[in-house]
Amino acid sequence: MSTTEAALENLRIIRSLMEKAHIYRAVSAPAALTGGLLAILASTWPVQHALAHQHEVLMGETIFLVVWLVILGIASALNVALLAKEAARRSQPFVSEGMRMALRAFAPPMIVGGVVGIGLILFLHNLTLAALIWVLCYGLALLATAGFSPRSLVRLGWAFVIAGLVLFIVWAATSDIRLLSSDEAPAAAVMGLTFGMLHVVYALAVFFSRKPAEVTAQ
Amino acid sequence: MIDFDQIDKLIHEKGRLSIMTLLSTRGEWAFQDLKSELGMSDGNLITHLRTLATAGYIKETRDESGTRPRTSYELTAAGRTAFQNYVEVLGEIVKAAQQT
Repeated sequence: MSTTEAALENLRIIRSLMEKAHIYRAVSAPAALTGGLLAILASTWPVQHALAHQHEVLMGETIFLVVWLVILGIASALNVALLAKEAARRSQPFVSEGMRMALRAFAPPMIVGGVVGIGLILFLHNLTLAALIWVLCYGLALLATAGFSPRSLVRLGWAFVIAGLVLFIVWAATSDIRLLSSDEAPAAAVMGLTFGMLHVVYALAVFFSRKPAEVTAQ
Repeated sequence: MIDFDQIDKLIHEKGRLSIMTLLSTRGEWAFQDLKSELGMSDGNLITHLRTLATAGYIKETRDESGTRPRTSYELTAAGRTAFQNYVEVLGEIVKAAQQT
């Protein structure tokens, strides 16, 4: 084999392995887009209602919680289904060592955020603080996988943490928002801006980013 | 004119090139993941990993806190630079061949 042939062959190896390694990123994008669009839809309604009828409660705390748990369920189920399909296509086990490692890192912040958020909604009736806790804990969960995640997911984690902190400061510093008779609208706005917008931006960035094949082909 | 001696012979071997490529795509890879992704035997994979570690291209981390010890690998700064240089040299070779 000549040096040029060896170089071409090795570039082919690099391209094929990079494509495989970027599969999670590609596979996760449709689930992120679906979850993001659902989050924007679910958050627009309470915000519009609050602007039109300022002191009227639209859905109540329990329905707010159920709506967001359903969206979480749909996005998670879609993600799991896409990953399972991809694993089957590649004849690999669905629960790989990598997935176990990711779940070990991802689960603790998600459990803490989930329990504290639900407690804040059901017992302390504070929807906005619950939404902020969910945003921050989700961001921290993504960052906990930084050692073995694609860089785009780490950036998404930072975006959630930064957005969560900024929104928390805005909420804490603005008594007009904190003291509203119903905080459905600010809570929905927090969810829409973060889980909605950030996931849609992430998905679009994945769809429009250059694939490894294009990079190595140059 | 390309100096073919620029090719990093350590990375030029297919098994080690595959390992370096996977390690370049994300921070850390568990031994079992590398094995299943590359379809190599334990012995073959360990030999290549040791060669790359001896050259200072990769770093091994052992985690014995769980029920089963887990070994993972990541590129060092020197390894990342060496891999980038290697890909650049391959690109130059292909470009030179296309021009002739």
